[in-house]
Amino acid sequence: MADVVLETHNLTKEFIKRKGFSSLRNPFEKIVFSAVKDIDITVRRGEIFGLLGPNGAGKTTLTKMLCTLVLPSAGNGSICGFDLAKQQGKVKNKIALISSEERSFYWRLTGKQNLDFFAALHGLPKKVAARRIEEVLEIVEMKDAAHRRFQEYSTGMKQRMGLARGLLADPEIFFMDEPTKGLDPIATWQLHEFIRTSLADSGKTVVVATHHLAEAEQICDRVGIMFGGEMLASGPVKELTGDASLSDFFRNLVEQTMVEGTET
Amino acid sequence: MLTLRKPLAFLKKDFLMEVSYRFSFVLQFASIFFSVVMFYFVAKLLGDAPSVQNSLSEYGGNYFSFVLIGIAFSNFLSVGLGSFSTNIRSEQMIGTLEAMLVTPTRLSNIVLSSSQWSFAFTSLRVGVYLLIGGIFFGVSFSGAAVLPAILALVLTVIAFSSLGIISASFIMIFKRGDPIAFALSTSSTLLGGVYYPISILPGWLQSLSYFFPITYSLRAIRLSLLQGAGFSEVGGDLIALVIFSLITLPISLVCFRYAVARAKRDGSLAYY
Repeated sequence: MADVVLETHNLTKEFIKRKGFSSLRNPFEKIVFSAVKDIDITVRRGEIFGLLGPNGAGKTTLTKMLCTLVLPSAGNGSICGFDLAKQQGKVKNKIALISSEERSFYWRLTGKQNLDFFAALHGLPKKVAARRIEEVLEIVEMKDAAHRRFQEYSTGMKQRMGLARGLLADPEIFFMDEPTKGLDPIATWQLHEFIRTSLADSGKTVVVATHHLAEAEQICDRVGIMFGGEMLASGPVKELTGDASLSDFFRNLVEQTMVEGTET
Repeated sequence: MLTLRKPLAFLKKDFLMEVSYRFSFVLQFASIFFSVVMFYFVAKLLGDAPSVQNSLSEYGGNYFSFVLIGIAFSNFLSVGLGSFSTNIRSEQMIGTLEAMLVTPTRLSNIVLSSSQWSFAFTSLRVGVYLLIGGIFFGVSFSGAAVLPAILALVLTVIAFSSLGIISASFIMIFKRGDPIAFALSTSSTLLGGVYYPISILPGWLQSLSYFFPITYSLRAIRLSLLQGAGFSEVGGDLIALVIFSLITLPISLVCFRYAVARAKRDGSLAYY
């Protein structure tokens, strides 16, 4: 499949928790905790894939593994054919991570100075960077505010600046972690429109991690539902849910998994 | 030119951040002036006492010029030991490290580049120390041998930075409570001859002082700047600094590589 841009096989992340002195019998005992278990995903070019699940489901850990920020404990994965663990530099050339974390910018610098810095980290030559910054500021409609300090922006503007940073190196895949957190309904709608029209329609792939089911239903071509680190179901929203709403399907699936977990 | 693009971007960003806090920027230079004035009066108190003359005879016998160079260049000790870990921790805390790590820039590049401003700013501070000493308090550098002093400085930066990178490795894993910087900074200031010559220390402490690179750095820089000592006179100190760097640099790189791999495995790279 030539148009597959993201693929994982049995991707697993285990963290080791040390009991420490809370356990006086054996303070050095280690507990292995699986944050992500045996995840298989395939995402094609131009698709919007939603990673759904409640808090603690493993969405963020999975996203971080796909962005090379966390090494997998087992399994493997690739982005545009590059191995997640062994070709991290090449993977990073193909991705952008847009999180709702507004503290990922330098607040004392202007929006443009921030973009200038991150453009350099992406390896864009000075002239190319200057042109590209103008383009992305135009796309996210932040040209007029580019010379204001980041700390003066509203939440919506900060989120748009996050998008602008993501667009700088023209990546293939955009990972968005809770992208509408803290946004008002209009800004949320604008972001959804942007993902649909400016990204997906121009062949970019978007992986959105969210627990807003309505958001996923609205913008995602396919979704994967995670709970307890496992992928419970994945596929196109309509195929998964049938006549039910995504939120009913999600609730039933999670409840069923919890009951099964209690029985075993 | 592209290879310098990233380091220059860090330098520009850190400069803009520094000058955005204008009052603090100005205050730092004011504090240099007051520190120099304070030591000028301490030197005046000690005056031309024979014991001072004897202890400092190697460096020309003047306490003020001796201590001026000591406090000025010990800034490189602080910045070499602390800047890597401090800057990484600061990026972790303000939340920008993760954003940098998803760009195709290596973590080693991020760590080294983010310390450039600290070194550049320290060089500026050292320059101001020497300038104030020269202009207002009559310290003469007319006979200074600049090249050996510069070489000693470069080796000093490499030696201290290696220790600083080991210190950053601790921060990468344990986040706080780095024992390397604390132990080395305290011991170096005590034993390295910043405020007084090591010749006044008891014999066993003098022997210990030779395990710290600052002892060789300050000796070489003082002799070059105050006595015009050439390569042949400070050669022993320069060789000691080279040996020190050859031992600590590979150790620091191994430590750093291990720390990054472990933090990536633990998923704690951006935690603080």
